[in-house]
Amino acid sequence: MSPSVLQRIASGDPAAVRECIDQYGPLVWSIARRLSRTPADAEDATQEIFLDIWRSASRFDASQGSDKVFIAMIARRRLIDRLRKTSAEPPMDPVEALETIAWADPGTACETSIEAEQATRALAELRPEQRQVLELGLLHGLSQTEIAARLSMPLGTVKSFMRRGLIKVREFMNVDAERVSARI
Amino acid sequence: MSDTRPQGQPDEAMVDLLIKQVTEGLSPAEQRALDVMDSELATAYLRDLERAAAGVTLAGSTGGEPLPEALSARIAQQAAEHFAAAEHSAQPSNVADLSEVRAAAAEKARVQPPLAPSPAPAPVRATRFGGYGWLAAAACLVLAIFGWERSPPPLPPVAVVAPPPVAPPPPAQPAPPTAAEERAALLAKTDTLKIPLGATKDPAAAGVSGDVVWDPVTQRGFLHFAGLAPNDPAIHQYQIWIFDAGRDKRYPVDGGVFDVPANAGEVVIPIRASLMVRKPAAFAVTVEKPGGVVVSGREHVVALGATS
Repeated sequence: MSPSVLQRIASGDPAAVRECIDQYGPLVWSIARRLSRTPADAEDATQEIFLDIWRSASRFDASQGSDKVFIAMIARRRLIDRLRKTSAEPPMDPVEALETIAWADPGTACETSIEAEQATRALAELRPEQRQVLELGLLHGLSQTEIAARLSMPLGTVKSFMRRGLIKVREFMNVDAERVSARI
Repeated sequence: MSDTRPQGQPDEAMVDLLIKQVTEGLSPAEQRALDVMDSELATAYLRDLERAAAGVTLAGSTGGEPLPEALSARIAQQAAEHFAAAEHSAQPSNVADLSEVRAAAAEKARVQPPLAPSPAPAPVRATRFGGYGWLAAAACLVLAIFGWERSPPPLPPVAVVAPPPVAPPPPAQPAPPTAAEERAALLAKTDTLKIPLGATKDPAAAGVSGDVVWDPVTQRGFLHFAGLAPNDPAIHQYQIWIFDAGRDKRYPVDGGVFDVPANAGEVVIPIRASLMVRKPAAFAVTVEKPGGVVVSGREHVVALGATS
């Protein structure tokens, strides 16, 4: 099996750096745009995320997941850290844009990554309001308090939906088949 | 996937904190609460939740828009600088560079007092130099720890502590005791430790003197000092740290944050230890971001006091 782009970066292959930017730039950019307050913030964040990627490439373990999920994890960490450090304003995504979220189709999501397919299948098993809580929290960067206000939903319900939803996705993403078929 | 995860399931409180960390980040208080939980279990579960959140993110990120060309070029340039710097720092000749960085950091500290308001960091083109700044900070940390362990800096004479005020005639409903009064009461106890507090070379520490009073039985204590520079709480706060001989010295116990107003004179601050301190070995005050931090980078240690 040929080494992944992150493994090649870690081994000092200069061509892999350009390849990584070309291959994963759109993904990082789209996540940064959603979870940043302004376009300028998104640009700064994207640069910081790639710097994190260069620094973390040597820690990538292909047995733990794909390049793509590793990069998405790094991007989320950096963006949440930035959101936390700035004011209480919500990210720039207007709530009207919520309908524009296009979940990957379970049948084709494997073209993007196995993890996306697993998450999509898990999301399909959630009730619509549970899925909406995950969308607002994970894709739009709203806090649980903000979600409760937006959906006129008790905070406790938001917490419960977020918890059950993430645990559901977590179960689907674990390779242990017995755990995948488990509860909730 | 290799399964070396710890046994057991996280309790509800841990799961709630980890989910909040993954979705919106934790406040300093929440982070401190998480820090006292089973770290191995929390780390393993956090990794799973981060993967799950990343999976959802990927599932909702179909057809991402292309990276703007100018941004792509900047990232490529930044990568070239990053890897060139990494390669350069791996060479032995870099020892000379480190001393240059130290000198530059010292000069910067002399020119810019740490409590002066500073503009927000500009990550766009400053990342390479941010790396050098961190190197300088790390060098300061090493020096601080090295100095701490080998030869604690001589402490200046402690200012004479003003005696507690004479109690006024008892009112109908007595007011709660002030921090100075509580400190005085603590000093009267036989088990109480009194540790001189001295300044460091940090610009904000010039002229600092005082002491720490600590009761190991009740785990209560007070920081008493004069001469610490006033701070703007919106920019920086002071944070107290307790080094426990029974714990890893890299992770001192958080003793709470405090502010110094202008023209404060002598100040008495209650110490609020977040964890049980078994054998206090030293107390320190650092300058941190508002709200404090979980683990200090120790870039600005402004007061130190060690038990003998």
